[in-house]
Amino acid sequence: MPREDFIAVDKFSFFYGEKQALHDIDMAIPQQEVTALIGPSGCGKSTLLRNMNRMNDLIEGVRHRGDIRLNGKSLYDPRIEVISLRKRVGMVFQKYNPFAKTVYENVIFSLRVAGRNKKKELDEVVERSLRSAALWDEVKDRLHDSAFGLSGGQQQRLCIARAIANQPEILLMDEPCAALDPTATLKIESLIRDLKSQFTIVIVTHNMEQASRCSDRTAFLYMGRLVEYGPTKQLFENPSEEDTEAYISGRFS
Amino acid sequence: MSPTKSPEPDPQRFEVSKGTLLLDRAMTHLIRVGGLAVILAVFGIFFFILKEIIPLFSKAEVEVEALMEAPGPENSNSNSLALGVDEWGEKPFLYQGGSAITIVDVETGAREILPVPMLEGVEVTAVSSDPVKRRIAVGTADGRVGSFVVTYGAEFDEEGRRTVVPSVEEEPWFEVEEGAGPVRELAYGEGGSRRIVVVARDLGTSLIELRQKRGLIGGEKLTRAGETAVGDQLGSDVSSVVASNNGKEALIATQSGAVYYFLIDGGEAVLKQTFKPFDGDPPVQMDYLFGGVSVAMTDASGDQKIFSLFRPEGSVDRLFGQIKEFAPVGAGLPIFAPSLRNKSFLTGAGGRLSLRHLTSGETRWEGEASFEPVAAAIDGKTEHFFIAGAEGQIQRYTFDDPHPESGWTAFFGKVWYEGGSEPVYQWQSTGGSDDFEPKLSLVPLIIGSLKGTFYALLFSVPVALLAAVFSASFLPHDMKKVVKPAMEIMASLPSVVLGFLAGIWLAPIIEDKIPSILLVCLSLPVAALLMGVIWCRQPMQVRRWLEGGREWMVMVPVVLGVSWAAWSLGPLLERLAFVYEDPATGRAIADFRLWWPQATGLSYDQRNCVVVGFMMGFAVIPVIFTISEDALSNVPKTLTAASSALGASRWQVVRSIIIPVASPGIFSALMIGFGRAVGETMIMVMATGNTPVTEWNIMNGMRTLAANIAVELPEAAPGSTHYRTLFLGALVLFVLTFTLNSVAEILRQRLREKNKLV
Repeated sequence: MPREDFIAVDKFSFFYGEKQALHDIDMAIPQQEVTALIGPSGCGKSTLLRNMNRMNDLIEGVRHRGDIRLNGKSLYDPRIEVISLRKRVGMVFQKYNPFAKTVYENVIFSLRVAGRNKKKELDEVVERSLRSAALWDEVKDRLHDSAFGLSGGQQQRLCIARAIANQPEILLMDEPCAALDPTATLKIESLIRDLKSQFTIVIVTHNMEQASRCSDRTAFLYMGRLVEYGPTKQLFENPSEEDTEAYISGRFS
Repeated sequence: MSPTKSPEPDPQRFEVSKGTLLLDRAMTHLIRVGGLAVILAVFGIFFFILKEIIPLFSKAEVEVEALMEAPGPENSNSNSLALGVDEWGEKPFLYQGGSAITIVDVETGAREILPVPMLEGVEVTAVSSDPVKRRIAVGTADGRVGSFVVTYGAEFDEEGRRTVVPSVEEEPWFEVEEGAGPVRELAYGEGGSRRIVVVARDLGTSLIELRQKRGLIGGEKLTRAGETAVGDQLGSDVSSVVASNNGKEALIATQSGAVYYFLIDGGEAVLKQTFKPFDGDPPVQMDYLFGGVSVAMTDASGDQKIFSLFRPEGSVDRLFGQIKEFAPVGAGLPIFAPSLRNKSFLTGAGGRLSLRHLTSGETRWEGEASFEPVAAAIDGKTEHFFIAGAEGQIQRYTFDDPHPESGWTAFFGKVWYEGGSEPVYQWQSTGGSDDFEPKLSLVPLIIGSLKGTFYALLFSVPVALLAAVFSASFLPHDMKKVVKPAMEIMASLPSVVLGFLAGIWLAPIIEDKIPSILLVCLSLPVAALLMGVIWCRQPMQVRRWLEGGREWMVMVPVVLGVSWAAWSLGPLLERLAFVYEDPATGRAIADFRLWWPQATGLSYDQRNCVVVGFMMGFAVIPVIFTISEDALSNVPKTLTAASSALGASRWQVVRSIIIPVASPGIFSALMIGFGRAVGETMIMVMATGNTPVTEWNIMNGMRTLAANIAVELPEAAPGSTHYRTLFLGALVLFVLTFTLNSVAEILRQRLREKNKLV
């Protein structure tokens, strides 16, 4: 039975130095669904996403208030090892960023750093991950070529394969199609819908069509605040907030 | 229909002002000129260096001059012919037996007969001539030995022209007591107040010792101090003899091919050595080279070898050993004339002439004479050489060989120098005496440069790279803002100050602290790793205090404490591990300085590679640190973020993502650090001791190519072999860095290709 508040954001505020980027966000993200975060540039949607695997820890001078709980456990529990947290929460970035390694090594990077080096297991993981990322047929003959030889869309799908290789519980996607052409974007979107059965997906997007096409729920953030959060269909067809309506009808961006 | 009508556009708005165009063109040209000037300057330096070096590799130039005739008197015979020449090569003399010498003026061809009254009515059967003193010694049919010296005075007329005026100084006769019949072979060696005469007669061979007492006004009396018969020590008849110009040594060759080396010591002639230079063949020519240490020997078939006095291992005496073998001179009677300035000599046989040099073992020039010479001489200025034929022909040659000791072998090969016990690579460009043999091997300097660089990099590369990784990937940004400029300030320390500190201050301090340093160097990495393990075992709550790169706050006290402890434990380690046992007294002394030579057989110097490496670190670390830190910091954040998001630890991110991507930059940093270390001069001059050794021993110093140039160029005479060799050193240094840099650049390009982004 999927959990309704798999990711529970609890009165979460976030500061870059003196600047407050998130204001008391409260939301519950259900398990095995795709949740889209939308909103104009600088609204804090990426910040929120990047807090879900504590990537913002890498930035100097940040602090937070409130809590984010993953399956009931606080991300900020002092006993939690950040490294193991990130193994549970995979992430795909806006700009596809494969490593300067072969396709094969890119996919199994998370296993390598965990010290899992059994050839048989690695081969299985590579095939499974690449199939899940709908890339297997395209690259199965050049697994040991440089990842840079792939097209942009393929590289992004490789990044997705890399992110899911370790079978995380959650997959965070930060504008995964921003640097891709429409065909590649469609492929990624259908992939997101397919992956939903295995992972809880949170996706940040600028593209409202995309949000409506592939998400189950949508949250609209504006100026660091959560304006509206609900089933995608309802939010797009019948927004309850004026700002939401203004945004989705394109009156500001 | 616009609400407001925009004003009429300015018709000149598409034009570019003349000033802009002019400035643009001027700057283009200025930049082009600047760029070309840089390229020209580099090539200019290169060509200047080449210009100074090329003469080193040129052969001797020899010019044949007019043939002169000096027919000898009636009773002359070619076996007793002696040729000598004045310092300027203007008036050679010829003694052809009889009672006079013939002097020929090279300019006019005029002949002058100088009588030697002491030879009146004497039948000369053996002649020996000393090219240095211009002494002719004669042995007679009735068993006497006499000598005279040809001296040349210079007179100057009112216009300052020089005229060379020859004269003859006679010396007394001595009876030879040993043996019977005419004197067959004769050698005469003068060494100041003591002289030695080797006389071989039909029935006996003896060494006669002469002593000269010097009076107050220089009036000297030559007396006979003794005669030692050595004939019964020789296996067969004497074939040739030679005596040294220190009046102590004599070599006697016999028909059996053996050469006997006698040394006069305390009035006694002692046979020190017997050797066979050409197996069974007797040498037909034996002469000392300039300096009196080496003897050139030639056998009847023309094989030529050089034997030199050296001290074999375990021997108290200096004995003769073969140091060179030259190409055969050809069949016939060999002639020989040493240069009076360097280790060159003229030799030849059967009409072939060959100008050779001892050090390089090279033939500098070869030619054919128009007649078969029986005697040869080189003038004191080493500008002319002469050959004389049996009929009294004299041929003058002018030659120019400014760099006879240079050559590929001399610079880069192992050379068996005079007095050495084996071929070695050695640099010793100047010596205390005129007859010094320059040792110009660049190999010790190349090794020195590489050794200095190696130890400098051994110390600085790990420190600089680890510091760069730490600063780029672990240190919080606010700390990095302090650390990086501080490291860069290190680069601005003048190297002369560093060298001064290393040589004068640091070297004496750490001289007796080697065990402490060793212990510190070993314990620091171990302590750091151990600390890492301990830190990881701490609960997360403890570690959170210093999260995000502030762990160094725990490390600093650990590093300081461990260093202090290791430093204090040094003497204990010395007492435990580095105990020297005095072979004389059997006493045990705990002293690394004594222990090292005993344990390893290598020397220990105060100014050693530890000091050099440490101080060079100050020069090299900032360079490597800055450049590699930049390379590491410039790795795209998307990559580090992606790997972090995949659950890689900080170190895993650094190792598998940051370092591979930054590797071309790190490689550049290493190469620039390498270049800095190879070219570094002042630290090397002041802290290395400047001994041109060829060993990689960490406990002694070295002399680098750069330091060698700095030390020796000011005292090298421009245009001399030494001066040009220093330029050759500069070229070698250039080639060394150029080659290494080129290889490194190729490798760097490959690395970049392998790790390039998108």
